[in-house]
Amino acid sequence: MSQILQAINAAAETGVDPTTYGQKAGRAIALGVGAGGGAAGAGAGIGSLFGSVVEATARQPEMRNEIASTQWLGFALTEACFFYGLVGGFIAFFL
Amino acid sequence: MTTLQAETPTENKNELSPQQEANAKAGMSVVKKVGLLAIAVYILGFVVLLAAYGLSGTKNEEFNIVQPFHLDTWFTIVGPIEFNKGVLYLLLTTAITIGILLYVAKSMTMRPNRMQTAVEAFYDLIRSMTRDNMDEDLAKKWFPLVGTLFVFILVTNLLGYIPLPVNSSEKIFNGNFPSFQLYAADTNVAVPLVLALGVWLAFNYEGVKAHGFGGYIKSLVPSGVSKGMLVLLYPLEILSNILRLLSLTVRLWANLLAGHLLIDFMGGNMAVLLGRPFLGWLTLPLGIAIFLFEAVLIAGLQAFIFAILTAMYIGSATHSH
Repeated sequence: MSQILQAINAAAETGVDPTTYGQKAGRAIALGVGAGGGAAGAGAGIGSLFGSVVEATARQPEMRNEIASTQWLGFALTEACFFYGLVGGFIAFFL
Repeated sequence: MTTLQAETPTENKNELSPQQEANAKAGMSVVKKVGLLAIAVYILGFVVLLAAYGLSGTKNEEFNIVQPFHLDTWFTIVGPIEFNKGVLYLLLTTAITIGILLYVAKSMTMRPNRMQTAVEAFYDLIRSMTRDNMDEDLAKKWFPLVGTLFVFILVTNLLGYIPLPVNSSEKIFNGNFPSFQLYAADTNVAVPLVLALGVWLAFNYEGVKAHGFGGYIKSLVPSGVSKGMLVLLYPLEILSNILRLLSLTVRLWANLLAGHLLIDFMGGNMAVLLGRPFLGWLTLPLGIAIFLFEAVLIAGLQAFIFAILTAMYIGSATHSH
């Protein structure tokens, strides 16, 4: 905490407005957390989804076609969550 | 029996003629040569850019990577109706879709060619999509909507991966010609919102028609729930009904916008932002990989999702829990 304050003070001494400095830092953090958290969550979800598909197909290979359509539905729904995080981060960063 | 089976592959392998073996070897080496050449060009370009411009660079404060996704008015048609690149993309999509489907429908033959086979497989997919989720007569009624949504979103998405001269905010050739851009109509939130609004109205209309208004509201929650739980469940179910509109919109919009921004970012925007040319060369393969992933998988998948969710929502609104 004290380090952050020191950095802000150092920036203020060099003539940078502390408000702009804080805004920029907050935006960068928002983009990082949005993209990183989104990728982590969606990655876990997609991994578990494809794991279940492999297991299900191994148990009942004759259901392969039905499983495939559900699989892609689940994949798209999960993968969209990554983009929610990313777009949220982009909105925070650029607007 | 087992020995026979075990022996056949090895025999086949031995029976390869010298000619075939030479071909196989030549094919391997051509692939290897191209791969090595690509790696060499990549490293060479990296070294040249690094030598020419160095590691350091100055940040570009004016460059805005979302600027090309804003809509510039090109000209006004009537009153508040304006013509811009989003409208152009929608018109192009409509023309291409109608053109291809009319052409296939007119040149229908008993022995289908490749194009007709593809369209027929597509038709079968949409028909199974509607029939699996709805009753027979409902499926007949809503098949055109589901099919149209699928084709329309697929073509708009695919059109978004072809660079077209539409970026009027940055001109090239002495400011006479708009620069090329990967733009898709769905990167503007209005397009997915209107599509999703149509779907939302459609499935609520079908639900009210099937159960009556009070019945439809009642059918939102499962029957046989105690009164205490109902107080908790009703707000949730009504919220989830409205959130379907939002999730349909945001899924399509965010996928397309974030995909295009990522392609732009990896394909050179990051280098321009940071003023370091070698960075653009470094991230270019990643940009190509994301482009292929988006164009091959995501474009089709989003259209499929939108269509199948439409069918599911209409089906579930007419069934009671």
